[in-house]
Amino acid sequence: MSDPKDFVAGVDSDQRRSPQRVVFVTRRTSAQVKANYEEQVQTYPEVLFRVVLAIEILAIVLVGMALLFNAPLEGIADPTHTPNPAKAPWYFLGLQELLHYFPPVVAGVLVPTMLIVSLVIIPYFNINIEAAGLFLHHRRRRLQIFYVTAIGLLVFLVAFHVYVAAVPSLIVAIAMIVAANSSPQSKSASCRYLSKKPMAWWVMTWFLFELIVLTAVGTFFRGPGWSWVLPWRS
Amino acid sequence: MKFLSSIWRALFGDTMRAFGIVSGLLLIALAIAPAKDHFSEWHGYQNGYLSLIHDRSDAISLRRRFEPGIQQIWLPELGVVDRCATCHEGLKEASLADVKMQPFRKHPVIPHPLDRYGCVICHRGQGPATTVSEAHFSERAGEDPILPARFIESGCGQCHQNELTGTPQLNSGRKMLAQYGCVSCHLVKTPDGTTMKATDDPPSLEHLADKTTREWVFSWIKDPQAYAVSATMPNYKLSDADASDISAFLMSSSTPHAGDSDATMIALAKNADPSAGASLYGESFCATCHAVQNGAGNLVGGNVGPELTRVGNKVKPAWLQAWIENPHVYNSATMMPHYRFTPQQVATLTSYLMSKTDSDYGSNVHLDPATPAQIAHGKKLVAELGCAACHTINGVNKPDNFAPDLSRIGSKPLSQVVFLPGMQHALPAYIAGKIKDPQAFGPGLKMPQYTLTDTQRDGLTTALLSLGDRSQTMPEKLRVAGIHQTTYEPAGPAGKLMTDLDCFSCHRINGHGSDMAPDLTLEGSSVQRAWLDAFLKNPNTLRPALTRRMPRFNLSDADRKTLTDYIMVVYQSATIDPDKAPPAVNPPAMVEHGRQLFYSRYACQSCHIIDTKTDKGYIGPTLTQVGSRLTPAWIYAWLKNPQELRPGTMEPNQNISDEDARAMTAFLMTLKGSGKQEGKQ
Amino acid sequence: MPGKTDKILEQVEQSRVWRSIFRSGRGTSTLHRALAIQQNVFLHLFSTKVRKRMLSVSSTWYLGTLTLGTFMILIITGVLLMLYYHPSVPQAYADMKDLQFVVSSGLFLRNLHRWSAQAMVFLVFAHMFKVFYRGAYRAPREFNWVIGVVLLLITLLLSYTGYLLPWDQLAYWAITVGSNLSKAVPLVGSKIHFLMLGGNQVNANALLRFYVLHCLILPLAALLFIAVHFWRIRKDGGLYVHQSEPKRAGAVDESTLVKEAK
Repeated sequence: MSDPKDFVAGVDSDQRRSPQRVVFVTRRTSAQVKANYEEQVQTYPEVLFRVVLAIEILAIVLVGMALLFNAPLEGIADPTHTPNPAKAPWYFLGLQELLHYFPPVVAGVLVPTMLIVSLVIIPYFNINIEAAGLFLHHRRRRLQIFYVTAIGLLVFLVAFHVYVAAVPSLIVAIAMIVAANSSPQSKSASCRYLSKKPMAWWVMTWFLFELIVLTAVGTFFRGPGWSWVLPWRS
Repeated sequence: MKFLSSIWRALFGDTMRAFGIVSGLLLIALAIAPAKDHFSEWHGYQNGYLSLIHDRSDAISLRRRFEPGIQQIWLPELGVVDRCATCHEGLKEASLADVKMQPFRKHPVIPHPLDRYGCVICHRGQGPATTVSEAHFSERAGEDPILPARFIESGCGQCHQNELTGTPQLNSGRKMLAQYGCVSCHLVKTPDGTTMKATDDPPSLEHLADKTTREWVFSWIKDPQAYAVSATMPNYKLSDADASDISAFLMSSSTPHAGDSDATMIALAKNADPSAGASLYGESFCATCHAVQNGAGNLVGGNVGPELTRVGNKVKPAWLQAWIENPHVYNSATMMPHYRFTPQQVATLTSYLMSKTDSDYGSNVHLDPATPAQIAHGKKLVAELGCAACHTINGVNKPDNFAPDLSRIGSKPLSQVVFLPGMQHALPAYIAGKIKDPQAFGPGLKMPQYTLTDTQRDGLTTALLSLGDRSQTMPEKLRVAGIHQTTYEPAGPAGKLMTDLDCFSCHRINGHGSDMAPDLTLEGSSVQRAWLDAFLKNPNTLRPALTRRMPRFNLSDADRKTLTDYIMVVYQSATIDPDKAPPAVNPPAMVEHGRQLFYSRYACQSCHIIDTKTDKGYIGPTLTQVGSRLTPAWIYAWLKNPQELRPGTMEPNQNISDEDARAMTAFLMTLKGSGKQEGKQ
Repeated sequence: MPGKTDKILEQVEQSRVWRSIFRSGRGTSTLHRALAIQQNVFLHLFSTKVRKRMLSVSSTWYLGTLTLGTFMILIITGVLLMLYYHPSVPQAYADMKDLQFVVSSGLFLRNLHRWSAQAMVFLVFAHMFKVFYRGAYRAPREFNWVIGVVLLLITLLLSYTGYLLPWDQLAYWAITVGSNLSKAVPLVGSKIHFLMLGGNQVNANALLRFYVLHCLILPLAALLFIAVHFWRIRKDGGLYVHQSEPKRAGAVDESTLVKEAK
């Protein structure tokens, strides 16, 4: 920036519509400036009132819930009498369900740590920025890797009798096989939809599916001794 | 549809308008919560109370005492917050005695002020709650549903470890825990730290074969109540094979005991006269302890010793006569006293008792000789069923921690309780159900079947309910200690004699012994020597209303002197000084004054009899010959303060002045009676 | 009447006191409206303008907004609940009973706090998945995604520490089960467990520790990260527009820059 001539400056002319901003683009980059007239609204009042409105509607819903349903309160804490089953808060019941199958060091430490780490590093993987469908390129090789991974995972889960996690994995795997055998030109709309999904989408969907299934099972279908119960029979 | 969408647009079409309307809705929603508070349940009950008292004659004073808002009793040291009085507004209003409608009923009179201990200590329920369902029916940990009224005495038992006159159900339940051998298997620690001991005196089975036959043992363990309806041994619901194996083992483990047979007496017994046996049985007051079923099927007699209705089916004659001659030879710990019967009397009584048979009982029992495998199986069953928890059995040790600890059963959390289908979800129902039919809770459970009446079961349930967390953690100063047996033993030859006569089976001295007969701790201060000597020679009952009687022990003159001397010297009161006592003989005017005080001022004749023709009092002892029985010092001290001499006696303390007490003592000392009159009663 | 009210309002707004509080005056011009955002210590975290199509419910489902809403409800009800709560054993449980039976609207407050907390956990998860599926985590918004993950963890910790405070069986055993997991950490597991509970098992120390975390440390942390989270939305180019996804790597910065310049 030492050479004052090394840039061009642009000024937005529509001063009344938005605050004036100045942009500097160096000559070396030879920017291809696209005019992109996206319609904008003022945060105040348009957005702010909508935000307040949304929060108010939420508050009405929650106040209604608070009036209708009482928060649970059991008897006073008694370290000498363990309730059966002793359940963690609902958002940890997925982990508690895993704890039923795996040693604590896996279900309680390894899995959550891996989850957090992978969530953190997701945006730093710059591969496939175009979000191309997983099986649209290098189909053969990717299918091989997919089959090895999926079968390995399923065998592992079945070997540990973790059918609760194996079933959702199997369903996702079947959906991926469907995607592998479809293309954006397929007749079925759902096949076209699936074929365009990148790997990140598949992984996240699998995770979401597992999270929902494990949490729901832990919350509703587990009774004394972590045995299967039906929630409507109690 | 178009109309609806136009309304929608009118209300929410514009952001600002939508904002205004939604804000209004939110404010309305927020206002519902305080409104809900205002129309809460307890407000309704307080309004109901106000309209109840509105038309009463004492409405003004009732309304003045009425306090609006939440009423609370807070007892920090007990951890109690009671808000029951918020709805139960009329608890303390004596004038509402006629109101039957809850929650406004007046509380019945109890020995404690209502605010002192609050409500939940006795009634259970959730004290802090202000809604009916929460206060009465909560089943959470640390909270209980309201206790049904018929178990309310369990509340008393949380502090009162002693026997109370107002709690017959609790008293009987506690007694049964010890009497029916419950505490032989279950550990029951009372709040003062002592472990409850069984009082049922189950017989040792070490020499069983000397006493009875295998066939009888078989019939007995199959169904004890078929032999004796009053038997406390429970029914284990044994199969024929199991009962046969157990009887085989018990017989094979039995060892012979020296001195159990005497051939000459068997000969005597054969020639004995059964009617003489019946009268000897009566004269010896055997019925004080032993019961016999009469023709109508009712039990006649006491429940200290075993029922004798079919004793002839059970015992071997040789054993029985050795037992009657001196029970301590066979069992040194027995409660049965050593009567000094002559050989002829022993034979007469033996033949009389052996005639008490039931020809049907056990007639169809035919047992083949047992194989070693069967005996081994019997031994295994004896160990598994915990027979040795009560009985001493050769080769089987007394099991430890055989059954669950019941020291805190009264606050067992409902979450830990497995209820039978159809059973009310409450602890009393569970405890009563478990006592009624233990096997229903699981075929593997070892608890046997007891034969109890509903009243007995309620008593036991009440006693068990009183054993809870609260009673175990009750502050020391609120606890009323129970009476525990001391280890007092009289010394010397007299002591040996008293042990042989089993005085402590009925009497208590210095905290040791039973409460069936008078406490003899202060007997030496109380009675005159001559009377005591005569009484030991030929005991007459003092209280004609009682069926229990002091038996005659046929003591030798030397034994009697030893005993009398010991009692007169040792069992003295420290507070009664015979030298300062009123004289035994007094001027007639004083005697007459005493008589008038006795009859008119203190109306003693309502409980005591002086003139057998006119007086009808049967509650206290007869006083016709009190002048020759008691010392003037004792009478005077007794009149002044009976509870000091015998805590818990029914005799009221009437705060009699020294002068009146002296006059009445003078009068009572003139009542010498005559042995002949006494005998007629 | 309306004319008179307007006049009084105008006088108030012209007064020295009013002007000393609100730096920018009232007005309907773009400038005034922009100043209303920029001159406010809280609102200046947001951009003054937003793309119009981002207003539609379907684009964001307002999940972030709603999460903020639950957080605000939780702060208000939480502060009110703190007035009735003692973090001690067994008084904590007795306070729950008092809230339920004697405090005016006490049960309502507790219910609202409880349900809002559950809603917040749910909404945070929903927000995360929505952001992911829209692809809004990509450069230059990577770091805001990481902050979002941190906020997710803070939310879970807030909910978890609050779970113990009623000191009932549910709370006690849920925390016992949850805290026992930390023992499984290799080597330092039992130390972490001890540090977390202030002892070897859930007791009065753990209650106090969880109380301080729940009412002081974690809410402050959440506020801090929420502020950064909002500020980064503006700095990273406003709400992400899914349809205008860049087609080539390297073109990202420029097109965003140009859009900003507009």
